[in-house]
Amino acid sequence: SASTKQQTSTSVPAATTPGVQQPKPQALPSRFSASSIIVSPRQKGNPILNNVKSVAWEYGDIPADYVLGATTCALFLSLKYHRLHPSYIYSRIRDLQGKYDLRIILTMVDIDNHEESIKELSKTSLVNNVTIILCWSSQEAGRYLELFKTYEHASPSSIRAHQSTSYADKMVEFITVPRSINKTDALGLVSNFGSIRTAINARPEEVALVAGWGEKKVHRWCNSVREPFRVKKTAKRGVLTRE
Amino acid sequence: MPADKNDGAPVKLSLPLEFQQEIFHELRDQDELLIIARGLGLLRLVTNLLHSYDAAGNNLILLIGADDRENGWIGEALAEHAAISMAPKCRGLSLVNTDLMSVGTREKMYSQGGIFSITSRILIVDLLSGLLDPASITGIVVLHAENVVATSLEAFIVRIYRQKNKVGFLKALSDRPEPFTRGFSPLTTMMRNLFLQTPSLYPRFHVNVAKSLEGKKKAEVIELEVPMTDGMRAIQNAVLECVEVSIGELKKANSGLEMDDWTLDSALHKSFDQIVRRQLDPVWHRTSFRTKQIVRDLTLLRTILHALLTYDAVSFNRYLDTVLAASAPPPGSTRSSQSPWLFLDAAHVIFDTAKRRVYTGKFKDSEIGTGSKTVPDSLHPVLEELPKWALLAEILEEIEREVYFNPIPNDDSNGTILIMCGDQGTCSQLREYLQLMHIRPEEKAKNEDDEDNEGYSADVLMRRRLRNYLNWKRDFAKVSASLFTENQKSINGQTNPKAAQNRGKAPANKRRRVRGGGAAGSVTTRPAGGSVVVAGDRETHIANLLAELEPTEVENMQKGEIGADPLDDMDSYYELYDMNSLLIIHPYDGDMDEHILEEVKPRYVIMYEPDAAFIRRIEVYRSSHNDRNIRVYFMYYGGSIEEQRYLSAVRREKDAFTKFIRERGSMALTIDSTANLDPQEHFLRTINTRIAGGGRLAATAAPPRVVVDVREFRSSLPSLLHGRNMVVVPCMLTVGDYVLTPTICIERKSIKDLIGSFANGRLYNQAETMLQHYKNPMLLIEFEQNKSFTLEPFADLSAPSSNVHASDVQSKLVLLTLAFPRLRIIWSSSPYQTAEIFEALKANQEEPDPLRAVQIGLQAGESPEQTRTFNQTACDMLRTVPGITDKNMSRLTLEVESVQALANMEEESIAELVGKEVARRVTRFFEKNVYDE
Repeated sequence: SASTKQQTSTSVPAATTPGVQQPKPQALPSRFSASSIIVSPRQKGNPILNNVKSVAWEYGDIPADYVLGATTCALFLSLKYHRLHPSYIYSRIRDLQGKYDLRIILTMVDIDNHEESIKELSKTSLVNNVTIILCWSSQEAGRYLELFKTYEHASPSSIRAHQSTSYADKMVEFITVPRSINKTDALGLVSNFGSIRTAINARPEEVALVAGWGEKKVHRWCNSVREPFRVKKTAKRGVLTRE
Repeated sequence: MPADKNDGAPVKLSLPLEFQQEIFHELRDQDELLIIARGLGLLRLVTNLLHSYDAAGNNLILLIGADDRENGWIGEALAEHAAISMAPKCRGLSLVNTDLMSVGTREKMYSQGGIFSITSRILIVDLLSGLLDPASITGIVVLHAENVVATSLEAFIVRIYRQKNKVGFLKALSDRPEPFTRGFSPLTTMMRNLFLQTPSLYPRFHVNVAKSLEGKKKAEVIELEVPMTDGMRAIQNAVLECVEVSIGELKKANSGLEMDDWTLDSALHKSFDQIVRRQLDPVWHRTSFRTKQIVRDLTLLRTILHALLTYDAVSFNRYLDTVLAASAPPPGSTRSSQSPWLFLDAAHVIFDTAKRRVYTGKFKDSEIGTGSKTVPDSLHPVLEELPKWALLAEILEEIEREVYFNPIPNDDSNGTILIMCGDQGTCSQLREYLQLMHIRPEEKAKNEDDEDNEGYSADVLMRRRLRNYLNWKRDFAKVSASLFTENQKSINGQTNPKAAQNRGKAPANKRRRVRGGGAAGSVTTRPAGGSVVVAGDRETHIANLLAELEPTEVENMQKGEIGADPLDDMDSYYELYDMNSLLIIHPYDGDMDEHILEEVKPRYVIMYEPDAAFIRRIEVYRSSHNDRNIRVYFMYYGGSIEEQRYLSAVRREKDAFTKFIRERGSMALTIDSTANLDPQEHFLRTINTRIAGGGRLAATAAPPRVVVDVREFRSSLPSLLHGRNMVVVPCMLTVGDYVLTPTICIERKSIKDLIGSFANGRLYNQAETMLQHYKNPMLLIEFEQNKSFTLEPFADLSAPSSNVHASDVQSKLVLLTLAFPRLRIIWSSSPYQTAEIFEALKANQEEPDPLRAVQIGLQAGESPEQTRTFNQTACDMLRTVPGITDKNMSRLTLEVESVQALANMEEESIAELVGKEVARRVTRFFEKNVYDE
């Protein structure tokens, strides 16, 4: 997106042009290849690094703990540590100096009484412009690091619209929307009526004859397909269609 | 409603029995929680109670928790009472149960007073928005008190009511004690939630109840135990074995849980899968796919058990065919993703026996190979009848004989015979049987005079069913073929060991193709893969069988299949039946059965399936009328699930009551439950002393305010926010679910919603619109109280070929944050925690403006009521239709009435709305015929 690119030029120079060596000393060294996660030496010994396997990573002198892309960085926080040193994370956030578009606080939930800390972090995320991601194991934490790097340039299409599937799946998905109707019922319905349209138009008494379709299911199905999408008075609908 | 009149009372009641009057007076006199055994006439008590208030007039009484049928019942009964009592002030029941009613109408209705049955979701909004002043309410009656938990809407309503109104009455009623028994001191908890102090328990074994029902006027009950056939018994045992194995698997996979209850015995309960679900709930989103599948299997197996006893042999077999096809593996799956019970020998027994109850035969595969059509008797129908049928016919004959010998009735009952059964399906099955039982296909009538059951047989019925079945089966083969061809191709295409494994468990009707002519048909061999293969699917065989079943002349003369009975032209032949010669078949229908008994006044009742509540209804009915004799025939399959289930239902109800009585005995008395209600006091007590003199003194400032979308009232969060002394302002929001400050807008997602709305793209759109309109949009991921506070296990990315297949929540969350860096995520372990977080976020911030929040996201000229009142289910269905996106959806929902309307639209008219390409996909989806191909 546009804003992302803008940010690039100001905060993380040259990370986008691999191969070109820039000798000038900079806050963010550019000698790293763009395809690897840059890890701050502070994180040495953090077990989550053992779980970053599918993406390359290397140490580098960065203000964040991890640089996961041109505009994305992450700070790692263990809640256990946070409880002992509550001001630590704030000083780290300050060190980021407003750089990066997406600033993750990768928070490891390793205590039982997490409510108070998470509440505080939620407030912080609002004030300090950071995004909280919780994880419960070092595997999961490593996985998040991998994901952020892997998807750096991925398009969000997979969360944007319905993933197209085969007719059978679609059909089952459609019929099983009303509660308590399952796959077996869906198959029974369509095999009985031939097509979804016939099944939709079928009278409740007809649907009730399909094996496995009890009264409740019949009622839910017939209601769901017949109830109007929008609750409103008929008069209003008339106005709208005339428009 | 004929009943004894209680002349002493100012209004006329219809409570003939002593214990009913006792309960009535108790309810009139004090606020209490009444738990009564099922079948003792709870609704009748409610209507009498409401009527007594109605007759007094000048009041505003709310009835909450009633479902549609109860509303109908109560409304009718109130009108009837009003007519009988001739009370001029009676106004009957007014319903407020749809969003159709405008705010203005509702306000006017409330101001006029009367008795209202209101949907909780609407009531809470009206109470919070000030449309209905709690202080003006005369009293509240809560039905289905068993559903009220601390965070439920009903509890919320009662809390608001009690905060502002300490004098109005409050009665809670329930006739289902079983769900109460969960947890520690359930009765106390329930009463605290309802702000009530007195429990009142009326089990069947209560002294007064027993006295009223066990007097001289007892109903004559004849119990008949019917043995199951060998086939049925074999199937039942096999299913039970499958259940047992499934439970074993479940235990193995979830060793950390309390599993003493997971026994075969409890697995027969209707609620067993719910019990398992509840125990797994805390970790549900983390349980393995396999565990979830087994839980689903258990539900399925229970349905099979039920079907075994109620469906006729052919329908049962047909149902199993569907089951088998539906549990076919998805493409490319491995054995481990299939239901484990399908691999058991027992599963084979189920399918095989079910088939043998319908037809048997031997065939040799060579014959099919040569395509010879001369295998005439390879299959022949067996058509096992349900044992209850013959018994039913016998009973009817006995009754007929008796009526013949004692023709003159000496009482007030009609000669009607009432047959009660479990559901509509059984009803139509019995109706068909009774119609056809004296008719036989010709050839049989000649040579079977020596058969023992003289006179009746279900031959015609069963032959008809089988014909239908075979025709269906042909189509079904095609259906499966057209639905699962892709699967088949992918399975056959593979050459690795996986494919070999898959071979055995191809979809039921594809077996033929997979196996080729190799395996022997009738022999019950099972391929190495383990899945079930039963003989007799070959089309030639079906054709032969069908030919043999060619309807005989007698059969052709019969009326067509009844099945669905369209009452289209009912008016043209309206006439009153003579009640004395009537045979009525009716499904059990809860409290409505009372009406049936009162209206039909049957002398004979045949209970085709056992039902404890109905027996009590008969007791109540009989005891209420001096001169109505009634004889009940009560039949059940001996040693069957049906019997066990009936017995354990009775036992569990009794246990529940015993537990309550014990708890009531030791209950600590709360002197003043209203003490904790005063928000002001509570607030002052918790005032933050650290603010000292410096900051805004919160006590004098207006309480914090949160704008909440009206649809969010289905969740418990608004109730908890209110509990934390925030002012909850219900509004129709177009963007977001909660608005905390002018800049903070929150979209709440439970884990289930989150997964769902990632899958259909809704969340992406919601995030997009929130970003457009608010500076600080937030996604609240809310876990459930008592559920584990972790996300589901993730897919292993380091696995070979890390192709970007975002399937787990984690990857989608990452995609979302990358797409919207400004979107903040709030993680909350429970709604309670959420309420605290909201408080923290709102601290020292400006209050939101409800009017502005409502306007945001609306197009110019749109009014919120117009655009936002959706029917969720219908819209969700629409969303799954191919080609439908959030954008074209809003247009469709504006222009098209319902899913049905859309399905019946011409492609061109849809194209006008959403374009040709989408229209083509939509119409194709609806009209695709699975028989083709």
